[in-house]
Amino acid sequence: MKKYHVVVIGGGGTGAAIAYDLVKRGFNATVLDRGELTSGTTGRHHGQLHCGARYAVGDREIARECMEETNTLRKIASESLESNYGLFVALNDEDEAFAPTFINACLESGIPAEKVPRKQALLMEPKLSEKIGTVVQVPDGTIDAWRLPLQFFAGAQQGGAVIRPFCPVTGIDIEGGRAVAVRIRDLIQRQDERIEADLIVNATGAWAPQITKFAGIDIPITPAPGTMLAVRKRLCNMVISHLHPSGDGDIIVPQRGLSIIGTTQYKTDDPDDIKVPREDVDFLYRCADEMVPEFSKQPFHAAWIAARPLAGKSESIEDGRGLSRDFVCVNHGEHDDVQGLMSVIGGKATVLRAMAEKTVDAVCHELGVQEPCTTTETPLPSHRQYYRKGAK
Amino acid sequence: MSTQERNFRILRGGGPSGSPAEFQSYSLELNEHATVLDALEWIRVEQAPDLMYRHSCHHGSCGTCGMTVNGKPKLACLTKVEDLAAGDIKLEPLVGMEPLGDLAVSPVPLMSAYPANSGYIRESEVNKDAARPEVVDRFERFENCIECGLCMAACPVGDEFQGPAVLAALNRELAKTPERRAEILHAAGRPDGVYRCERALECSRVCPTAVYPAKHIMELRKELEKESGAE
Ligand SMILES: Cc1cc2nc3c(=O)[nH]c(=O)nc-3n(C[C@H](O)[C@H](O)[C@H](O)COP(=O)(O)OP(=O)(O)OC[C@H]3O[C@@H](n4cnc5c(N)ncnc54)[C@H](O)[C@@H]3O)c2cc1C
Ligand code: SF4
Ligand code: FES
Repeated sequence: MKKYHVVVIGGGGTGAAIAYDLVKRGFNATVLDRGELTSGTTGRHHGQLHCGARYAVGDREIARECMEETNTLRKIASESLESNYGLFVALNDEDEAFAPTFINACLESGIPAEKVPRKQALLMEPKLSEKIGTVVQVPDGTIDAWRLPLQFFAGAQQGGAVIRPFCPVTGIDIEGGRAVAVRIRDLIQRQDERIEADLIVNATGAWAPQITKFAGIDIPITPAPGTMLAVRKRLCNMVISHLHPSGDGDIIVPQRGLSIIGTTQYKTDDPDDIKVPREDVDFLYRCADEMVPEFSKQPFHAAWIAARPLAGKSESIEDGRGLSRDFVCVNHGEHDDVQGLMSVIGGKATVLRAMAEKTVDAVCHELGVQEPCTTTETPLPSHRQYYRKGAK
Repeated sequence: MSTQERNFRILRGGGPSGSPAEFQSYSLELNEHATVLDALEWIRVEQAPDLMYRHSCHHGSCGTCGMTVNGKPKLACLTKVEDLAAGDIKLEPLVGMEPLGDLAVSPVPLMSAYPANSGYIRESEVNKDAARPEVVDRFERFENCIECGLCMAACPVGDEFQGPAVLAALNRELAKTPERRAEILHAAGRPDGVYRCERALECSRVCPTAVYPAKHIMELRKELEKESGAE
């Protein structure tokens, strides 16, 4: 097979997993990020390993994929996960009425949801509110938002991928209706460069429209930032979620010595122009206390914000909550008459590997390559491997 | 919300491009919650699109945003601007890493020094006697050390020293895998190991996640003494 060169724009979790899958299938791959790796949305996400329970009522397929990917990540990247399961807790009558629907949807999606007697739940997580009713145990967990992608980058690098942080893409060269090269500014070497590509994958998440614009393509994406709040004490070992149809401030993720409540959701125009709205902090404290009453008594650690890319133009989105969190892979050759360019947007950090598999399937199809995906079995190298002397 | 104008003096340039490193000033209005990282983000967006610095999690978990703030190693994301002394705020890259230019560094020196087969997961110390789901053998969590390198930067012992973070990791490995005792103590007792420590305790002071590397170094010394006493 000819060694095709695929340029991946965006060094978040999605770009990391795509690069790893590409080299495993015999491609040459280059990853470009404008800043440090995972300095976009990936590094700042809530850190929940989603088993899919949160999505099951709305979309069984997404839930099923989350469950499968949770199991796969536990096999290939266990060092970047705290695998302690999670509890969904009912807090009022409405939640109690919702519980059977929830459990049913989980089971139908292949998620081993299990009712836990209230007393037993309090023995598992003694800091839970005395006011909890029905409790359902699911295989959730915690992700290290930086180290999980780094494991994929380490694997990609081992397979020969060239990974270049601090190289913002500044243009795309189109020749005869085909994207043939990207223009970058290498901030480290302080020089401009042109990199030829057989195919370009745009994995810049909430920044995706800025990249397609270089190819004259307008894709409707609305950045939707959400706030997270961490206190300096680990109050639980398991992920604690409010058992209700999903809303704001309904998940507490423990991580290291921290407890983190999230999140909220807004719409904005510019994914770089986001600031934590202070009212979010009070709101999140209140939500957390409903599940774990000691939460707001702990020392404040940090409040931060990250932007989701939602499909659709801002005016046509109410608050975005109802929109699917699934990901889309757009082949611009089919949609916009620019060959050789694809955009991959959305999804979740939990399903980064599956998104990469689907994307690289599409890349293979486009370039006429027949290589199966092999990223589900082999454990990834340690995150530190990426930075070991001589690893490059 | 009250805001205040602050002036940052940032060391620009340096690194492999060979461009001379020099301070440049940037002023901006900041509210009382703003961190040094927030300020850098806004400086980049509004005034200096080419400004290089590392960041990822924005909450003290990834360890990428270490830099020298007014002469001291700190995490930009956990340092509130309001808590810094009045006057200019001086930002320089973290000492002990490979400079890439501006405030960005490569953590290769630190990451390469960690013992190759050390894990990143440990048993959780929280609610130790708690009941667990049947499928969960033990509640686990990530290690405290976020590999930020602040301790290396603060440590007064010069080169030829594995450094506080790496020695702390060795002691954690000893606790987790006692069967590797001989190998671990050998690494800790090397000329670049625990005996180079001058007990300045700077590492424990700057560590943002309470690893207390100095305590780990003392523990390793004790273990080494036990070994030599047994001989
Ligand atoms: C508030 C919030 C909470 C979340 N919580 C969770 C959770 O708990 N669990 C979960 O599984 N998922 C969660 N997610 C979803 C998850 O964060 C995203 O799905 C995932 O991080 C997306 O990764 P990405 O690589 O596609 O995008 P990004 O991480 O945003 O990567 C895009 C990259 O492109 C780069 N870029 C931009 N412009 C350019 C350019 N011109 N040239 C080169 N590079 C460029 C950026 O620097 C960035 O690094 C959450 C999302 C949000 C917003
Ligand atoms: S021991 Fe503390 S200061 Fe040193 S690298 Fe680890 S987290 Fe940073
Ligand atoms: S950005 Fe992660 S530690 Fe500061």
